[in-house]
Amino acid sequence: MRRLVLLVLAFLLPVLPAGAERLISGISNDTIQITSSFSGERLTFFGTIAPEAGSTERTVDGPFDVVIAIVGPTQDRVAREKTNNFGIWLNTEQVEFKRFPSYFHVLSSRRLIEIADINLLNANFILPEAHAMIPNAAGFMKTLIFGRELIRLMSQDGLFGVQENGVQFLSDTFYSAQLTLPSSAPPGPYIAQTYLFKNGEIVARKSEGFAVRKIDFERFLAQSATQYPLFYGLACVVLALFTGWLGGVLFRR
Amino acid sequence: MQIYLPIAELSVNLFFLVGIGGAVGFLSGLFGVGGGFLLTPLLIFSGVPTSVAVASVTGQVVAASTSGALSHYRRGGIDLHLAMYLILSGILGAFGGVAAFSILRANGQLDLVIAVGFVVLLGFVGTLMLQESVRAILKTRKGVVVRERLPNQHSWIHGLPWRVRFKKSRLYISVLPVLVIGLFIGFVGSLLGIGGGFVMVPALVYLLRVPGNVVIGTSLMQVVAMMAATTVMHAVQSQSVDILLAFCLMVGGTAGAQFGAAAGQHLRGEQLRGLLAILVLAVAIRFGLSLVMTPSDVYSMAVTSAVR
Repeated sequence: MRRLVLLVLAFLLPVLPAGAERLISGISNDTIQITSSFSGERLTFFGTIAPEAGSTERTVDGPFDVVIAIVGPTQDRVAREKTNNFGIWLNTEQVEFKRFPSYFHVLSSRRLIEIADINLLNANFILPEAHAMIPNAAGFMKTLIFGRELIRLMSQDGLFGVQENGVQFLSDTFYSAQLTLPSSAPPGPYIAQTYLFKNGEIVARKSEGFAVRKIDFERFLAQSATQYPLFYGLACVVLALFTGWLGGVLFRR
Repeated sequence: MQIYLPIAELSVNLFFLVGIGGAVGFLSGLFGVGGGFLLTPLLIFSGVPTSVAVASVTGQVVAASTSGALSHYRRGGIDLHLAMYLILSGILGAFGGVAAFSILRANGQLDLVIAVGFVVLLGFVGTLMLQESVRAILKTRKGVVVRERLPNQHSWIHGLPWRVRFKKSRLYISVLPVLVIGLFIGFVGSLLGIGGGFVMVPALVYLLRVPGNVVIGTSLMQVVAMMAATTVMHAVQSQSVDILLAFCLMVGGTAGAQFGAAAGQHLRGEQLRGLLAILVLAVAIRFGLSLVMTPSDVYSMAVTSAVR
């Protein structure tokens, strides 16, 4: 019995090192509401690094690095390549990326390369490229090329991004970070995963969710369009006929 | 002032939308066309997804044509019998167009087909219109009285079987060419997001010899009914009709059309047709260039599933 306890302890010990840290974190808003005047929204992430609950230590010693990865709802997306055929530019090749994030931003307190090894970052999906490296039916080389182009296009639209000075330490253990969500950020559930790095290793992580939601009229319109498309279409037609008729009446000379 | 479009899922300047709606409405009032062939390209070039642009402009065309159709109806300028044949075949054609639209969008070839469609259709119609109007302008300069073709001058088209009497148009012709015109315009109109008035009017005048007093009204009537059906089909099939986008365009369009119609009274018919032809050709050339010029980015992306 004692041997068994020792064995269990031996397994547990590396998981709970002596000076274990934990993250206490929060987000300024847990829902972002899309109204008719929605033109993007600013979010603040903040948190503090504290000793593990129940630990005898009163302080934590750094230096620490904090990386926050914000992932939006996933969609199937294709990247397409145009080639010139007989003088006309056509989409000839395409690679589909299943369940690709519609939004992905990384905020970090330092250059990611200096924080940790690239393999560790990739394994935890902290780098944008990691999302395009999932094995794909198109084959390795095409996935690599189209994946890189897809990430470039997403970055141009402000949907993907890395801000390597996005996290500021206000004291040794207190950090905050700001993110401006663009108006093109698709509605849905978002996850903000915060990683605490020490000496190139992840020592703590915490995830929080927030939602981007259409509310009121926008929500009503979007839901009608997908759930009652026939009535939505008829409503469009009635609106068009009415507007046309009204225009004729108002301006009749 | 930015306005968020719930289906396109992007925010656009409200004044920009109403503004292009008004500008296109002015031109459509001036030339007596629906304006879809200008509005759809303008929206596409300003960043609205092609599928949303086409489907929403369909709704706008309904609004733009309604007031015209109503005023022609009051004046008795619509051949309802002929319009019914055109509408039924048009709706049938629109079914095909909407289905093709969905297939092409899934394959990533929608933008290409729309661009080629605009180049071929607008290039062809624009060239014909320009030729015709230049000839008419030159003739009036020389002082020659332009003799309009009489509706009883028949061609081989009138000799086809299944002849029907259209009282108001004073025609006794085969329904086959009528149905073919309706089918073609239904298919092309729903695929390209245009009403097709600028194809319909010449087709009715030159192919069927429909008299001038009913041709515009009948064409407008057909556009209203066919595009209304197409709007519903797009809403059901591709769910890409943005009612807010369409409404902004409608408001600008109906207001602009009134001023356009007033301005149009100061110009002569053949001058108007010449200007319209130049406009149509300009759009065709713009699309043609987008096909042959090296794109600024050979890569593009698209979403193939809903958010989940």
